[in-house]
Amino acid sequence: MFGHNFKYTLKTLFRNKTLIFWTFAFPIILGTFFNMAFSNIENSEKLEIIDIAIVNNEEFENNKIFKEAFENLSDEKNENRLFNTKYVTEEQAKELLENDEISGYMILEKEEPQIIVTTSGINETILKSVTEEIIQTNEIINNIAKNEIEKEIISQNYNIDYEKIYKNIIEMTENQEVNIKNISKNNLSYTMIEYYTLIAMTCLYGGILGMVAINQNLANMSNNGKRISIAPTQKVKTILSSISASYIVQLIGLSLLFIYTIFILKVDYGTNLPLIILLGLVGSFTGLSMGLAVGVLFKTNEGIKTGILISITMLGCFLSGMMGITMKYIIDKNIPIVNKLNPASMITDGFYSLYYYDTLDRYFFNIASLIIFAFIMITISIISLRRQKYDSI
Amino acid sequence: MKPNAYDIKSKLGVIFQDVAVFEELTVYENIDYFCGLYIKDKNKRKQYIEEAIELVGLEEFKKFYPKQLSGGLLRRLNIACGIAHKPELIFLDEPTVAVDPQSRNNILDGIKKLRDNGATIIYTTHYMEEVEIICDRVIILDKGKILATGTTDELKELAKIEEKVTLEVNVLEEKYIEQIKKLENVDEVNYNGNILLVTYKKGKNNLVELIEYLKKESIKYNKIYSERPTLNDVFLELTGKELRD
Repeated sequence: MFGHNFKYTLKTLFRNKTLIFWTFAFPIILGTFFNMAFSNIENSEKLEIIDIAIVNNEEFENNKIFKEAFENLSDEKNENRLFNTKYVTEEQAKELLENDEISGYMILEKEEPQIIVTTSGINETILKSVTEEIIQTNEIINNIAKNEIEKEIISQNYNIDYEKIYKNIIEMTENQEVNIKNISKNNLSYTMIEYYTLIAMTCLYGGILGMVAINQNLANMSNNGKRISIAPTQKVKTILSSISASYIVQLIGLSLLFIYTIFILKVDYGTNLPLIILLGLVGSFTGLSMGLAVGVLFKTNEGIKTGILISITMLGCFLSGMMGITMKYIIDKNIPIVNKLNPASMITDGFYSLYYYDTLDRYFFNIASLIIFAFIMITISIISLRRQKYDSI
Repeated sequence: MKPNAYDIKSKLGVIFQDVAVFEELTVYENIDYFCGLYIKDKNKRKQYIEEAIELVGLEEFKKFYPKQLSGGLLRRLNIACGIAHKPELIFLDEPTVAVDPQSRNNILDGIKKLRDNGATIIYTTHYMEEVEIICDRVIILDKGKILATGTTDELKELAKIEEKVTLEVNVLEEKYIEQIKKLENVDEVNYNGNILLVTYKKGKNNLVELIEYLKKESIKYNKIYSERPTLNDVFLELTGKELRD
């Protein structure tokens, strides 16, 4: 029974042109448009060095990590130089910004860097992105220092040699065990976020497949569901086999998108292939669970449910930076809870952290968030399905 | 019936009023899919599918997709999907709604074959002529309540009329209509266009008397015929003639 339903669910899904368009063709078309649009932007922007200012206060002077990072990125000898940096007072920085002489300025106060910009363009986004990288590295170094100190305390050595610990960290930094991951114009490609959101969109569009498959099994949702419900088959078997088939179709769609973006569009997702695959698998499963919940909870026709899923997905992708990376930063800064609950953002951020960060904490946080999201969706669906009894259909 | 009453479910076949097939599967695949929910043995299933296809006359459309079929063929596919597993009890809910006469004829023949093969069929319809053709026992339901049960002959006895005479005339003056109303056993006279319908409460040779009257009054007519009451009359008698929502 499982195999019979699985086989026919695969056939119905693969032959459904609307579904195949949204889950297979649309992401590839969109990826192609991204490539056409952004490659031109990147090429035209390649030689431009961004004028910025740094408020040269005492805290900045004492923060070696920030200071060295910005000096390196502003070094005229650096081939991948990003910034033309002026070290000024806060008043001077404000004046420079008002006169449009700089794209923005950074002020470090209480270990919190503030980025002040007047517009939300590409230059401002790069400045924010670089600053975020430095914060991340700063945190890593602080964590290492903390761990080293804890180790000393656990070994009951209370005469901690702070100088030694500091030297070790510097050594690790120099050996690139811990570093700001090659911040340069080449690697700080803001279009990467667009491709990550594209993957997120494809994962979540897979929900349409799950929704359609579950719709075909529910007596109150489709005529076929009525017929299946009166057959001597276990509901759980038909639903599980339909969902499994949907997942397979979804993964095929996602694989095609990966192949297309990697080999045709030359998108670099990083080198950690198993973790890239894991994020794709978990992201797709989350999308499927969302489709399942929409399929079960909304008592309306399939077209409207498809519309609901597409709308949710597109909104999620928009908030996570699909239509402009600035949106991701605006949301993360002002209403971070939105992207914490947004599965598109979890997937995007997962790829982002895998590519940019040396530690996997943020990546696994996103994986865990996706699993929890999927678990909640599935639980809601199961509770709703278990309560369904029909006197008359 | 509980959801896990699989023994009972395996003996049931339901053909819904709305067509329930997969648009993405061919005629053969649709029947195979639904039959496969009941019959696991592939060879047996293949044989059952061929028999179902033959029963509804879809041999030449096995590889067609539902959207390529006419309304009548689609209804026949709908039936094949519901009966391919050879159920013992079949529910058919208005399976001939909006189909062409040829498909209707084919569907009714198929239902008779299923009956002759031993299946018990519960057939829901508003078409009383279909009931007269295929049903052994009839239940007239109105607003969820049983109004009458019995064979078609038994139900016809419930009708308060005995005979209906239909007369096709060119022109008929009002005074003649009034005189016909006063003839023996006449219950009701309706004159609509050039058709005069005379219903009688009792008596079986009322036609002869009416012809004699027409001859006496020198009323010319094109056609005249007599009918026994139909199930339609019984249905209208029991459920009323007022229009429904």
